[in-house]
Amino acid sequence: MMKWSLSAVFALLASVVSAADWDVPLRAGAISEILAQAEDGDVLRLAAGTYNETVVLEKSVTLDGMGHATLDGQGNGSVITVTGSDVVVRGLTVVGSGDRHEDIDSGIQLKKTAKAPQILDNVLLGNLYGIDIHGAKDSLVAGNRIEGRQDRLMNRRGNGIYVWNAPGSIVENNDIQWGRDGIFVNSSKRNIFRNNQMRELRFAVHYMYVDRSEVVGNVSIDNDLGFAVMFSTHVKVKNNVSINDREHGVMLNYANRSEITGNYVKSAKEKCTFLYNSNKNDFSDNWFEGCGIGIHFTAGSADNRIVGNAFVGNRTQVKFVSSKWHEWSEDGRGNYWSDNAAFDVNGDGFADSPYRPNDSMDHVLWSQPAAKMLLGSPAVQMVRWSQSAFPALLPGGVVDSHPLMKPVRPAAADKVEHDG
Amino acid sequence: MSEDLKNMKVSRRGVMGAAATGAVLAGTGVGSLVGGASPAAASGKASMAPGELDEYYGFWSSGQCGELRILGVPSMRELMRVPVFNRCSATGWGQTNESLKVLTEGLTDKTKEFLAANGKVTYDNGDLHHPHMSFTDGTYDGRYLFMNDKANTRVARVRCDVMKCDKIIEIPNAHDIHGLRPQKFPRTGYVFANGEHEAPLVNDGKILNEPDKYVNIFSAIDGDTMEVSWQVIVSGNLDNTDCDYQGKYAYSTSYNSEMGMTLAEMTESELDHVVVFNIAEIEKAIESGDYQELNGVKVVDGRKGSNKKYTRYIPIPNSPHGINTAPDGKHVCIAGKLSPTVSVMDVTKLDALFDEDADPRSAIVAEPQLGLGPLHTAYDGQGNCFTTLFLDSQVVKWNLEAAVKQYAGEDVDPILEKVDVHYQPGHNSTSMGETKEADGKWLISMNKFSKDRFLNTGPLKPENEQLIDITGNEMKVVHDGPTFAEPHDSIIVRRDIVNPKNAYDRNDPIWDDARKQAEADGVDLDDWQDSVIRDGNKVRVYMSSQAPNFSLEDFTVKEGDEVTVYVTNLDDIDDLTHGFCMANFGVAMEVGPQATASVTFVASRPGVHWFYCQWFCHALHMEMRGRMFVEPKGA
Repeated sequence: MMKWSLSAVFALLASVVSAADWDVPLRAGAISEILAQAEDGDVLRLAAGTYNETVVLEKSVTLDGMGHATLDGQGNGSVITVTGSDVVVRGLTVVGSGDRHEDIDSGIQLKKTAKAPQILDNVLLGNLYGIDIHGAKDSLVAGNRIEGRQDRLMNRRGNGIYVWNAPGSIVENNDIQWGRDGIFVNSSKRNIFRNNQMRELRFAVHYMYVDRSEVVGNVSIDNDLGFAVMFSTHVKVKNNVSINDREHGVMLNYANRSEITGNYVKSAKEKCTFLYNSNKNDFSDNWFEGCGIGIHFTAGSADNRIVGNAFVGNRTQVKFVSSKWHEWSEDGRGNYWSDNAAFDVNGDGFADSPYRPNDSMDHVLWSQPAAKMLLGSPAVQMVRWSQSAFPALLPGGVVDSHPLMKPVRPAAADKVEHDG
Repeated sequence: MSEDLKNMKVSRRGVMGAAATGAVLAGTGVGSLVGGASPAAASGKASMAPGELDEYYGFWSSGQCGELRILGVPSMRELMRVPVFNRCSATGWGQTNESLKVLTEGLTDKTKEFLAANGKVTYDNGDLHHPHMSFTDGTYDGRYLFMNDKANTRVARVRCDVMKCDKIIEIPNAHDIHGLRPQKFPRTGYVFANGEHEAPLVNDGKILNEPDKYVNIFSAIDGDTMEVSWQVIVSGNLDNTDCDYQGKYAYSTSYNSEMGMTLAEMTESELDHVVVFNIAEIEKAIESGDYQELNGVKVVDGRKGSNKKYTRYIPIPNSPHGINTAPDGKHVCIAGKLSPTVSVMDVTKLDALFDEDADPRSAIVAEPQLGLGPLHTAYDGQGNCFTTLFLDSQVVKWNLEAAVKQYAGEDVDPILEKVDVHYQPGHNSTSMGETKEADGKWLISMNKFSKDRFLNTGPLKPENEQLIDITGNEMKVVHDGPTFAEPHDSIIVRRDIVNPKNAYDRNDPIWDDARKQAEADGVDLDDWQDSVIRDGNKVRVYMSSQAPNFSLEDFTVKEGDEVTVYVTNLDDIDDLTHGFCMANFGVAMEVGPQATASVTFVASRPGVHWFYCQWFCHALHMEMRGRMFVEPKGA
């Protein structure tokens, strides 16, 4: 669908400017020579094989690798630098960027003057940075496969896709592996990051100062951290998947007035999700399973709508640091807690008594699984009863007045097969 | 019970029922597994019994309050506030002639003109971020404290013998002094100060919105004379600074190497830098005349591409902030802020940058990934570092040697432990941690937000300084300390180093001007005095105070006279400070034991006016008062 619509747009442009097609012979420098003669709207078709050169695309041209051409920068700066508007780069394998962080040496770098470039279906291998959207507004980066470097310490590697100040840009259906961060976004707005897959990176999505954007349907596997959304408002973080990420699945730090829904986080070593000083968010219908901590909620995070989430078998379901009270249910509907030893006598799908995840019982059940067998026993029931009868020492806590008896699995759970 | 609680119709029950759980579970055989039922005893002792003295002095900044504060550590009891850049109602700082001299003598003529146009003689606000003590041979020497004013581009010095500010200078050519550190070796020596904000070198309005013509200025101030020794023009802006234990290099972080003017522009680069200043080479430039003189200061060009040996620029990811030299004298930790890493610079590798033009990055020997938002690093003197993680709201303890090994390719994890702090730490400091005598006992995490940690004081809430015991294998948060706006940095100094006096020396230069005037007026400032000297429409009133009396029970002036009252406190016993407050004249000052203080006002209100002692001094303190008669004009 996307391919069809893009080529349709292209055909329209081509007919208007009566563009030419160029078949670029396979030799070093050939692309730059043709580019010098080409005009806006022209298409450069590359031959099968490897071109040893770096190119700067200043005009509105299409550079088409036809799925069989490779461009090798041989360690010189960025391999492709786009400065003109409406440039298309597609079907190309790009290797051999330089390794200077100062210049953000990349496979493909989209500069501030590059308006609406389209980087489609390329393969970028072993460049310091994959694609650097460096101030190019309304970029479309889609369908690329990016493999970063593995030969350096993490911080000396580059990001798969680096976005700086590129409002209106869309990054989708890319597959990113190795290197530093999968998608790093700093100081931008109105961006869409959709259906990308990221593996074996530092952060899958590392995201700050980016208002009114979407992070939707992405998959993060085996990264240090899945989705870090910081200092941003009106962000949609929806239907993403995080599996086996080390630190956090979905981390919100001063992310406000946002929607965090339908995400599926499993087996994060530290925290499935971390809400730090994040406020007024719709935080609902997510699935958090098998993490060290289900949710860490602190630093005065307030006015969040936390309902419909499933907290399944996390070592500590809730790490709550606050002296305030929070109700995690709305209109009679709360969240699912796998450790909730509750009855639903009337069978309405909601537990008959409120659930307080700050309960010290969780710790006992985790560190002594045999205690689970006691869960329904008179002794444990009596503990819970005595907890509800006597005042606690410290104020503050979470209450889910209407816990769900059954979890609701988000559709995103089916994005990855055999997730273990 | 809070309103929130009532609205939710739940009670406190069942929230943390550790005691109940433990009691019942003991019967089921798993009670011993319940953790956290009682707080573990800290190995260090944070609470002091009444009368017990602290082991350390803590010197705290106060940010936009503009004063220096003294705390006891580990009790975290606030002991004193020393007015510096602020106007202090209690002590008369900013009103007494002695304080106004300190506050005005270091201002440029242009600033004095500016202030006059605004009806002021000095600034009455400041933004004091970084208090640091003078050094001798790599450790604190108890002479002075130096501190910056970001708000009005000043540097101040506080004398540790009396804990009063004795020098404030405006730094010409620079804009908005942020980072500040005294030279560690051989002694202070220089005080290094960063101008944070970019501006035209000659900022007279001819250049306005042309950022490519802006510069930033690094200043070296002579800590003995409090004069600017030299300045260096740099590329990029300047954030924090520190220096080595060899007396060779100072270094500053820059978060805006881009020279951007918007948030987006400032975050454009993947790497910013640390600029290294070669002190000997810059001194040579001054000797050889390779400088321009601007507003009375010798200014050396150390920008990138100037092709001299004055500076080197080391690329650092990504908007680096804190820079802290380790007590080992070798390593410097540069916190990445927007990068989750700390870059470790080896000062022994800096020579090669200047002598052989080695790759600037060759001085970086470790770059551990520690967590989100690393800002500042403190040390225990045993090879471990404590870095604040602003975004993770944690302090991470990590081993420096392990980090170096990891960078060299070994499979080691330098991170030892992380502890949550509440909330969002900025600076931190350890006991003696910025000296070669770091002793690894206490860590202060200076948290920017307290949120819900204290009783609610309305929309404006205190900051939260948390005390952490670092003597054991585990960091233990042992105390929450609320502070009013808004300490940035602190140092923790062993108490044997700081030895202030109990009374002033009568020869203290603070009141030199008063002494000269008294001599001219034939008054002995060191003895009982009750003289009123008329000099045209100027009247000088000399009085001494001894509890519970002022030597003058009344004095008479004429409406419109310019009156200067000199009060000398002849009491010399501990803690017998007097005051002088002229009611309804807006005049009040502190007069310490054996001190002289003076204040000048125009007697434009005729009538009977009471002056009184406003610092409690004696059982008959209330009676310590007198009258000023102001005869109306034409009477």
